[in-house]
Amino acid sequence: MTQLSVVEQFFFYMRENGSYVFSQFLAHFQLSVYGVLLASIIGIPIGIWISKFPKFSGPVITLANIIQTIPALALMAMIMLVLGLGKTTVIVTVFFYSLLPIVKNTFVGIRNIDRSLTDAGRGMGMTKVQILYMVELPLSLSVIITGIRIALVVAIGIVAIGAFIGAGGLGDIIIRGTNATSGTAIILAGALPTALMAILADVLLLWLEKRLDPTKRKKLNVAA
Amino acid sequence: MKKYLLLLLSVLVLSACGKEDDKLRVGSVVSTEGQITAYIVKGMLEHYTDEEVELIKNLGSAVVLHQAMLNGDANISAVRYTGTDLTGALGQEPVSDPEQALNMVQEIFQKEYQMTFFDSYGFNNTYAFMVTKETAEKFGLTKISDLKKVAQDLQLGVDTSWMNRDGDGYKAFSEAYDFKFGRVFPMQIGLVYDAVAQNEVDVVLGYTTDGRIASYDLTVLEDDLHFFPAYDASPFANTELLEKKPEVRKALQRLVGKISTEEMQRLNFLADNNLIEPAVIAEEFLKEHDYFSGDDTP
Repeated sequence: MTQLSVVEQFFFYMRENGSYVFSQFLAHFQLSVYGVLLASIIGIPIGIWISKFPKFSGPVITLANIIQTIPALALMAMIMLVLGLGKTTVIVTVFFYSLLPIVKNTFVGIRNIDRSLTDAGRGMGMTKVQILYMVELPLSLSVIITGIRIALVVAIGIVAIGAFIGAGGLGDIIIRGTNATSGTAIILAGALPTALMAILADVLLLWLEKRLDPTKRKKLNVAA
Repeated sequence: MKKYLLLLLSVLVLSACGKEDDKLRVGSVVSTEGQITAYIVKGMLEHYTDEEVELIKNLGSAVVLHQAMLNGDANISAVRYTGTDLTGALGQEPVSDPEQALNMVQEIFQKEYQMTFFDSYGFNNTYAFMVTKETAEKFGLTKISDLKKVAQDLQLGVDTSWMNRDGDGYKAFSEAYDFKFGRVFPMQIGLVYDAVAQNEVDVVLGYTTDGRIASYDLTVLEDDLHFFPAYDASPFANTELLEKKPEVRKALQRLVGKISTEEMQRLNFLADNNLIEPAVIAEEFLKEHDYFSGDDTP
């Protein structure tokens, strides 16, 4: 095997272990998505809430900022003390890191809506809930998605570290590569799909973000 | 206040769904051998029980793995070595006699930790001196004592940590065998195999199950004075779990005595040299042996 070049070794590895890499790819993606989804379920309402009561926005965003400054491995180690080893700890770590971009973007998205639009809604006799669902959320959705997009790309990186505490995923393959005799090809086999996943997730959500932006959608409709 | 409550609540909910006690969680260290045995154990458990099996791989060392077992993060260890646990987790003196070492760890773990140290898989991963085939033929070497007459002209490559170790380090070794090597090169353990294969040094001290012994066709010299402590490898599990689920004990018991040192060398070689994933190797290994079916004797 040593007579092959790294690129040849890489393709050999992928041919031999393709289905294994794919299953780790899915597991990796699953962990990232769970964490981000959880953060969305909790973060978006928090973002909406602080946009309605801006005096809370300072402390909440500061708290989320502080979480963001803790190194991933350190935060994971702290959560590990409470939750133990395994997948749960990684999902919770991803959750904490996803909070900031999601909360912040929801907050900014709603705050940046032209006041005349919400005023118009109120003038038409809409209730607060109706304004939220029919005016504010649709208009800020693309900004919220941007937050989720940032969160997901960061999450994919964090899950790779999660292999150190037994969560599996593509990080597992990278770590194995660092321990094997001719490990470069194995490291690549773990790192390339991780990068690919991050790029794909980014592109996919960028597309979604554009689709959901009403101002851009209008232009599309006009063009059509 | 609400937000803190929300955070706290979510953490509590998550922690509640984290550790159901009936799930089988197999811990393993980061080595290739640890990973392969982890997948072998996983495959056996999935084949013979209806339990869901979760792997916790890449744990830093045997001590971390032991800690994970104590915390309940893992309730089965894929592989444990008598020598490592005797001096590490249990803090005892190293024992060279394999049988005595096994009896000691089995007894102490059962009594003090309620954990079961199974009989050996059949392989042991201890230190061993190895030379290239040419060197072995040239000097007629089969056991370590044979080195005595030529050692002063030879160069030895060893793990850095072994040089200064008490008990079974170089100093104790040269006293036990009554000879010293001409020159000793301490290096990172992963490099010794390449070093001897490329004739940079004449003799190296490596691990008996390393796949590179096979890939470089090295000759392992017999430890005829039984100087190195026994490092027989065994499955390991929480006794309470085994009593609750006897089928788990049976599944692990089937692996006892089934993997020889040569076989483990071969499997490590497949992973490290042939770039095949431990998961794939383990699956093929188990299928090859039909999951050791029909052999239920303990």
